[in-house]
Amino acid sequence: MNLYEHTIIARQDTSPSEIKQLTEKYSKIVEKNEGEIVKTEDWGLLNLSYLIKKNKKGSYIHFKIKGKGNVIDELEKNEAIDKKLLRYLTVRVKKFDLEANYFAKREGEDKYDKKESYRN
Amino acid sequence: MPKRQSGNKKGKQSNFAKLSIFQPNKYKFKKSCPLSAKGAPTVDYKNIRLLKKYMSENGKILPSRITNVSQKKQRELSLSIKRARNLALI
Repeated sequence: MNLYEHTIIARQDTSPSEIKQLTEKYSKIVEKNEGEIVKTEDWGLLNLSYLIKKNKKGSYIHFKIKGKGNVIDELEKNEAIDKKLLRYLTVRVKKFDLEANYFAKREGEDKYDKKESYRN
Repeated sequence: MPKRQSGNKKGKQSNFAKLSIFQPNKYKFKKSCPLSAKGAPTVDYKNIRLLKKYMSENGKILPSRITNVSQKKQRELSLSIKRARNLALI
């Protein structure tokens, strides 16, 4: 069993209900292939730093998946043909950090940054 | 961020002003790696704020001789910067 972090970017014009559908759709695929979703994060609508297929923004969904390699194969196969999605990225990690959420907590991050600047 | 780093560089250069080349190095020239120290943040493609410190304004990766990042951490940095680029976060 491996641990994966999986992020997908949906088009800017997908409604919140459609995003829910997407998360459910891909969660089901994971469960079908005997994988387990440890956590899902919705990062919300973020500005893309460059245009992707003429989209300026994208809604990010982040999964933390525990499972075998075939789960990822199946996921990426389905995502490659999905027209609602712009990008996907899978990263295998040794350990999940479930505490740090870089896109939800703004205040905590600021404190973190200040400490850093002192050290420099 | 680059402003701060250029400040660092100046401080380093003033250290070089010594009387003779053969004078022993009493002062430390090299700063230690900011990412290897105790309590340093882990390098991660999701931590954009951290990654941006090690990039130029044009989005290029800064060389480790300027930022004093160790070889191992520089490799991690460049990998995670490239991941973040793919996700259009940077």
